[in-house]
Amino acid sequence: MATRTLGALVVLLLAITICEAASVFHPISDSHRSAASELFTQGSFDSLEKAYEALRSFEVLGIDKPDIRGATCKSVVEKLGSSESAPKDLFYALKVNSILKCGVKKEVLEGIASRLKAVVNGASSLLDIYYSIGSLVLIKDQTSEVDVLLADADGVFRSIKSLSQSDGRWRYSSDNPQSSTYAAGLAIEALAGVVSLASSEIDQSMIGKLKRDVSKLFDSVEKYDDGAFYFDEKVDQSPLSTTASVVRGLTALAAVTSEKLKVPGEKILGLAKFFLGIGIPGNNKDFFNQIDSLASLESNKVSVPLILSLPTTVLSLTKKDQLKVKVGTVLGSSAPPLTVKLLRAFSSGSKDASIIASQELKFDKESGYHVLDVLPKSVDVGSYIFVFEVVLHDSEDETVYTTGGLAQVDVFVTGVINIENAEISVLESDKSVETQKKLDLAGENAVSLSANHLQKLRLSFQLTTPLGHAFKPHQVFLKLTHETKVEHIFVVGNSGKKFEKILDFLGLVDKFYYLSGSYDLQLTVGDAVMENSFLRAIGHIDLDLPEAPEKATRPPSPAVNPLLKYGPKAEISHIFRVPEKLPPNHLSLAFLGLLLLPLIGFLVGLLRLGVNLKNFPTSAVPATFGILFHVGIAAVLLLYVLFWLKLDLFTTLKWLGLLGVFLLFVGHRILSHLASTSSKLKSA
Amino acid sequence: MLKLLLAFLTLTLPFLAHSFSPDHPTDRRVLVLLDDLAVKSSHSLFFKTLQSRGFDLDFKLADDPKIGLQRYGQYTYDALILFSPTVDRFGGSIDLAAILDFVDTGHDLIIAADTNASDLIRQISVECGVDFDEDPSAMVIDHTSYAVSDSEGDHTLIASDDFISSDVILGSKKIEASSILDNAPVLFKGIGHTINSENSLVLKVLSASPSAYSANPNSKLSSPPSLTGSSISLVSVVQARNNARVLISGSLSMFSDRFFRSKVQKAGSPDKHEKSANEQFLTELSKWVFHERGHLKAVNVRHHKVGEADEPAIYRINDDVEYSIEIYEWHGKSWEPYVADDVQVQFYMMSPYVLKTLSTDKKGNYFTAFKVPDVYGVFQFKVEYHRLGYTSVALSKQIPVRPFRHNEYERFIPAAYPYYGAAFTMMTGFFVFTVVHLYNK
Repeated sequence: MATRTLGALVVLLLAITICEAASVFHPISDSHRSAASELFTQGSFDSLEKAYEALRSFEVLGIDKPDIRGATCKSVVEKLGSSESAPKDLFYALKVNSILKCGVKKEVLEGIASRLKAVVNGASSLLDIYYSIGSLVLIKDQTSEVDVLLADADGVFRSIKSLSQSDGRWRYSSDNPQSSTYAAGLAIEALAGVVSLASSEIDQSMIGKLKRDVSKLFDSVEKYDDGAFYFDEKVDQSPLSTTASVVRGLTALAAVTSEKLKVPGEKILGLAKFFLGIGIPGNNKDFFNQIDSLASLESNKVSVPLILSLPTTVLSLTKKDQLKVKVGTVLGSSAPPLTVKLLRAFSSGSKDASIIASQELKFDKESGYHVLDVLPKSVDVGSYIFVFEVVLHDSEDETVYTTGGLAQVDVFVTGVINIENAEISVLESDKSVETQKKLDLAGENAVSLSANHLQKLRLSFQLTTPLGHAFKPHQVFLKLTHETKVEHIFVVGNSGKKFEKILDFLGLVDKFYYLSGSYDLQLTVGDAVMENSFLRAIGHIDLDLPEAPEKATRPPSPAVNPLLKYGPKAEISHIFRVPEKLPPNHLSLAFLGLLLLPLIGFLVGLLRLGVNLKNFPTSAVPATFGILFHVGIAAVLLLYVLFWLKLDLFTTLKWLGLLGVFLLFVGHRILSHLASTSSKLKSA
Repeated sequence: MLKLLLAFLTLTLPFLAHSFSPDHPTDRRVLVLLDDLAVKSSHSLFFKTLQSRGFDLDFKLADDPKIGLQRYGQYTYDALILFSPTVDRFGGSIDLAAILDFVDTGHDLIIAADTNASDLIRQISVECGVDFDEDPSAMVIDHTSYAVSDSEGDHTLIASDDFISSDVILGSKKIEASSILDNAPVLFKGIGHTINSENSLVLKVLSASPSAYSANPNSKLSSPPSLTGSSISLVSVVQARNNARVLISGSLSMFSDRFFRSKVQKAGSPDKHEKSANEQFLTELSKWVFHERGHLKAVNVRHHKVGEADEPAIYRINDDVEYSIEIYEWHGKSWEPYVADDVQVQFYMMSPYVLKTLSTDKKGNYFTAFKVPDVYGVFQFKVEYHRLGYTSVALSKQIPVRPFRHNEYERFIPAAYPYYGAAFTMMTGFFVFTVVHLYNK
């Protein structure tokens, strides 16, 4: 009894500890290779540092190197030959040389080695020491004929170690107080180099101290929710380059120390997950850091992470998909012999009860997958959490590899949901059915219903899973859309298998804004595990709702299509005033002719009356005034003609004034003359 | 030496960074604020397309205490990219008001939100006329037009191809997969928003399908979600009245390298696309946001009477007028003639009296001729060109119109000849009568 409770407790504890990690990480695959070919183009070989990054990435991924050997080797030999080259340049030149094998002469390497040793002994900056030690290690790896061993390895070791901080981080130099995780990575790698270059054994107590530093450094590791671990540094370096630096240092140190480094396998696996989780970086440096770090992890001596991945976590019951699991190293090579066990599976809603018994997956040698041929009968559609355990066959492998304990994976099992007994009906208030129509939710429907506010609309259907269980989709919406685009959405609830929604229009009139008229009915049923999710128009219902009372809320104004305000406007042209209608010209001329008749009649009349000018003064002075008077009158009349023809009013009035004064004078003289002659005549 | 340096600084500082202006549209500095520097590498393809187009990106953590948009009253950046959906408070001198001021002075902004977007990011979006779903854990879910994926089964990875139909916003090249000719969808995973219907400056660029809804995928729904159907906008743009442009997306991951490179298959469709349309969609959209497309300038507005060359100070009613204008569009490097057939001019006093579509020679020159209406008053030549995605061209030039002078009317009207004739015969008769009357005996 006690053991059983204990067992249950352990299971419960395990369930809690593994709850968080659920993402699936995939090892490096062909997509990385094609991305690498795209990323490292001709321009990526400009400097030796860039060339090394490109060549190293190609080497790890197993891609053929582009044909750049000639030019690159030339600059390698130049850099190594020059006595001015900084340790950093030498370092990258030697790195390229280690890949391309440019055939550098032994004497050159000897010269460099002696120069670098001097640098190592005198340097105070971490970067100088790092590059120098790194170069010496590279020379050692490339040729055994050059003496690169450090005489005072202990001293160098101490001088690097003196830069370390209590929290496991390092400083770049003794006069720079800022400590950095990135520098820690470099320092550990440099120290590992010192150990391998030491002519005599390094003091074991110092290596012990270094190991404690490493474990302190790993205390500061940060963690993402998906189980990935990384080192972060707020200044200068990105998390990727910082983590890569630490990984390089760690693997280098593990390679040179005889005793195994103690870093939890979970953290190593977390680091691998971090590098895999970033996908395919888009710039060369990040790509190199990712690939190089993964390559270091692939063959490290602490523990080699094994990644459990599923090609697909979406399994279809209709297609009878098999559950496939692959376990491999980070670069995608195959794992040692092992067994994958599906320990438990529980639906993501309830984490208490496993729905299946623990079982082993069969290993398929050809494809390299561990396969579960048929999903257990008890697995229905739904989302599950599958818990896998990786068991290595060989117990010695357990010291080499880390699997990170239990792996927990979200799995969706999808299938076709049966839809049955779908019907829509209009009910009277006493629940008697007025009209009832069957629906075929798999096909098209065009139901036409009508109801008033005292009636109810009922929609019902049944959903069952392939195994005959009740199924509750995430999305079951009934949407009513009025002609004016006012929408109302209702969630259709269920009891067991049966879904039913009753719309009591009496209680909804206010919500419907008292809008009578045709409403389109639309039913949406969807779920992540439902393969036949649908959005279907059912038909329409004509609602006859009462008139809106005064204080009822107004329906929202229909949304104006914002695109309408764009586009050209209709052209406007001005309508000009129409000129007045005038009689035709010949009519005017005819009337002009007619107007001459009275004048002619007048003249003819005068002649018939026998007018004479006998009264015209005979003496010279009055005659002159008489002539001037009539010339004056003629001038005024002529002025009127001129006014018509061209003059304006002001000129005319001016002249008229002058002529008026003149006429007054001469008129007075001639008229008084004529008056005096006529009075003489009368008196005589 | 110091003086020289100072002189150089004072001369160059004003040119360091400005909003987009027709005078110096190049050399643009962009501040990118991130939650996590890892975004810089995980979204590097997007940043690389910007850098390859000549933008100078400055990556900073959103809570970096040293960041600021201004220095000595001058903006040091031309645009801001907020890839920091969870930031509660920006570091340095940046806050909500600073960002709104930045946009109000005509600078561009790209906002990417995500699930659990902070209130600050939501507030900035609200100020731009975009309301994100208030439920912090809600995501856009679509059970009929999701992207088929081996690793994501909860249908929150949406494949949408409901784009706005605008060549200027999305580029004239149809969004398509690299190998297959039909349209590839855009992958989206994040939160949905609606655009404020009162705000006419916001446009939905990428909409969700009618079956989409916004909810928490892990909890059961008891009440209808607040956002459903195609009213959900996934990506929206704003063009403010000062021509500042803002891009708002509910998904940060749609900018990521993973989505850029991902293969897509939309549920229910047999087409498998080698590549999602995200790269093309967002590249073209960023070109629009950064004014590499759709920015117009109008120059050389001229008008004169037919047959004359000089611009008069006043027109008379019924004059024949010629009007011309030149419009150019910015193409990232140079101003190119803008070609369209719907530029219109209005002759306007209280309301348009004449509204005419301008003819064009396809070299940026637009012209027309019309008769001044027979109404006098103070008119305006108005060009109000508002097209989807283009910056607005709104020009007006005031010009008075006078009636005929008294001596400009017709003087010898044939219809009036009988009246003239009557007056003149009368006058002749009068003259004869005066003579006869005075001297007859």
